[in-house]
Amino acid sequence: MALDGLRILDFTRLGFGAQATLICGCLGAEVIRVESTRFPDAIRVMPPFVPEPGERGEAFGAATLANATGATSANRGGIFYKYNTGGKKSITVDARHPEGLALLKELVARSDVVAESFAAGTMARWGLSYDVMAAIRPDLVYVSMCGFGHEGPDTAHVTMGPTAQALTGLTFMVGMPGRPPAGWSFSYLDHVGGYLGAVAILAGVVHRRRTGQGQHIDVSQLEPATALSGALLLDAAVNGRPSRRPGFPMGNRRLHPPAAPSGAYPAAGDDRWVVISCRTEEHWCNLVRALGDPPWAAEARFATLEDRVRNADALDAELSAWTRRHDRYEAMALLQGAGVPAGAVQDAADRLERDPQLQARGHYCALGNAEVAPLPLEGVPFRMSATAPHTGGRLRRGPPCLGEDTDAVLRDVLGKGEDAIAALRAAGALS
Amino acid sequence: MTGAPLEGVRVLELTDESAEYCGRLLAGLGADVVKAEPPEGAPSRHVGPFVDDEPGPDRSLAFWADNVGKRSAVVADDDTVRALAGAADVLVHTLRPAEAADRGLDAPTLQRRAPALVLCAVTPFGQDGPWADYLADDLVLMALGGSMAACGYGPGPDGAYDTPPLACHGEQAWRTAATYAAIAVLGALAWRRESGAGQCIDVSAHECSASMTEWHLMTYLCSGTVHRRGPHPTLTAADGRQVAALNPDFLGPHVFAGMLAMLEERGVAGPLSDPAFADPVHRAQHYREVWRALKRLAETADGETLYRLGQGAGLPWGVIRSPEEVLDDRHLRARGHFVALEHPELGRAVTYPGAPFVAHASPWVMARRPPLLGEHTDEVLAQWLGTGGR
Repeated sequence: MALDGLRILDFTRLGFGAQATLICGCLGAEVIRVESTRFPDAIRVMPPFVPEPGERGEAFGAATLANATGATSANRGGIFYKYNTGGKKSITVDARHPEGLALLKELVARSDVVAESFAAGTMARWGLSYDVMAAIRPDLVYVSMCGFGHEGPDTAHVTMGPTAQALTGLTFMVGMPGRPPAGWSFSYLDHVGGYLGAVAILAGVVHRRRTGQGQHIDVSQLEPATALSGALLLDAAVNGRPSRRPGFPMGNRRLHPPAAPSGAYPAAGDDRWVVISCRTEEHWCNLVRALGDPPWAAEARFATLEDRVRNADALDAELSAWTRRHDRYEAMALLQGAGVPAGAVQDAADRLERDPQLQARGHYCALGNAEVAPLPLEGVPFRMSATAPHTGGRLRRGPPCLGEDTDAVLRDVLGKGEDAIAALRAAGALS
Repeated sequence: MTGAPLEGVRVLELTDESAEYCGRLLAGLGADVVKAEPPEGAPSRHVGPFVDDEPGPDRSLAFWADNVGKRSAVVADDDTVRALAGAADVLVHTLRPAEAADRGLDAPTLQRRAPALVLCAVTPFGQDGPWADYLADDLVLMALGGSMAACGYGPGPDGAYDTPPLACHGEQAWRTAATYAAIAVLGALAWRRESGAGQCIDVSAHECSASMTEWHLMTYLCSGTVHRRGPHPTLTAADGRQVAALNPDFLGPHVFAGMLAMLEERGVAGPLSDPAFADPVHRAQHYREVWRALKRLAETADGETLYRLGQGAGLPWGVIRSPEEVLDDRHLRARGHFVALEHPELGRAVTYPGAPFVAHASPWVMARRPPLLGEHTDEVLAQWLGTGGR
């Protein structure tokens, strides 16, 4: 695998940090999660819970401290599964225990990368600042991932995905004219921030292999997002045309490149939609033919792309009358067959159960662990011909149970014997 | 040796607008990214908005956004493209399999000439499968991938939706795929350092887009329910600005304690001061009272202040900004995030978003404005192919 031989000591938690080490695990790195039995990762103990066979769990919307503290196991938190494939191992070590801290320093000495996503200063307070770790392992690649990063006037600020989305323009860019922003109903920036965290880890590793030099790379959840607004930011900076203006954002319409029809159209059924997007004359002609050359399509007001953009409301009304009569997948197949860009609006269940492309590509990877039967988890979205990535990482394993690898890691990585491990456990260093 | 991780790595880019962001990331890491363009220029050069709204291949802001740091070579024939690929370490392209084969730019042909080449294809659906030849732009990918179904306004009081699912501006499905492409290329380069061998990467934008909806698949697997779209909790401040006001009670008792102290200090805690609210079960059952208190708070402050009040109490709140308002963020400015690059032919400097992370030993490379069409044709042919130009 691409990252064979790379060891990452992984202090990340929640989504943003764990996404980064997940990708590295899928590329073959050995990822050792350092966890705590007393303060387990919140996504281990909050809904949705993976149910016992035959039972039904709760949805994420029910996440409160009340039911988080009522979790019967640290190994059934559903969101944990999303972010902790990649063959990650789990060890439990108490960093606040002197022998636990000593153990972590031994692990740092034998790791290529330390990744973490605590608030700035947390690991330094344990006695694991970058300077301390670099003294142990001078070529260490230390990648910190916290909301505002470790430097700057607002480092004390905390983020979750929606916080960062609000602050960087991502929330603003989802909405319809004349209404407040709708935003995302999930933490898109946990993913994007995590992707750039993976880029940071890989860049640090490549840099070290070239130069022998380690470093601290400071990843925030804000900076990975600023380029995501693309030309909108430049339109304001160069042309003085702000995005905060009447009529903007424009729902699913775009000014550039001009396209019409373009948007989500109602399909048969309750709240079912199909996206159709015609940027070219060829797309339009194909659409008209697929619709059976309806008389309205020949009207002068829809003659050119410019006309269609100008009369998009009327065009959308005509097209919607057609889409309403069709199942969204039927419409998609019919239009794609005719050479028109189109796609059903799919939810999570659709992607899993109705998407032949994801099935054919083998996107989902069934992985479980000692407590949970295999679940079809979202897989690595790319293939590599010589170093195939795997959702289960080098071990082809599901997300780890809390602490399941403690003994094996102490034995195999640090050479500790059974007696030494038992003594550490008895001393409370492994909690 | 300089500090850039990809110093000396040659990347040939043969992409439409869907994957140009990949090359921008690789250029930021120090790679020599050469964009091979047809004589009329890459498609994105013809996408607006344009500088001063005057179209032109060197005036597209859509092009600028994703092509900072690259060089441009106009290459009219595929023999030269093949020769450049033979001289490159990495080729990133967006050709469908049939087109790549027709043009002699398919993997077997290229790898015969250059076994160490890392060949990365970014396509809407990947190289195979029943949808491999389907057409898709960013909007179609956002629909099929699941983001749209989860984004938009909530239902009305009758439970029915009167607005469609929405896609974010900024081509997020394309950017996600391009980012994954950069990750895969970095992985392949790391392995090539050890093995000396190249390989083929097949990025499916659909798969990338289908794996970025956080907890939605898990909620379906765990509970059998499908998440329906609707905004996150948002407060409207006294100046009308909106603030994302998350209350992650599940993180521990300190979350409510911090909030209560802040609400009491501002004199709007009301019934929340009742010790009964210290019990998380009680709080969950009476969440409406918590939200009412937050709304009272919101009436006392403007958006920026409300954001900082929440953060002062340890809450992950953020004021909702438009993209250009991000330019004024004091924290990002202090981190030196935004970079002004001179465009001498226009006589102006333009501010771009800069490094996606701060790497002190290997700083992000952000020195070259987006290339003019064909600006580097001669020098690239000379440097990569040893020819004297044309």
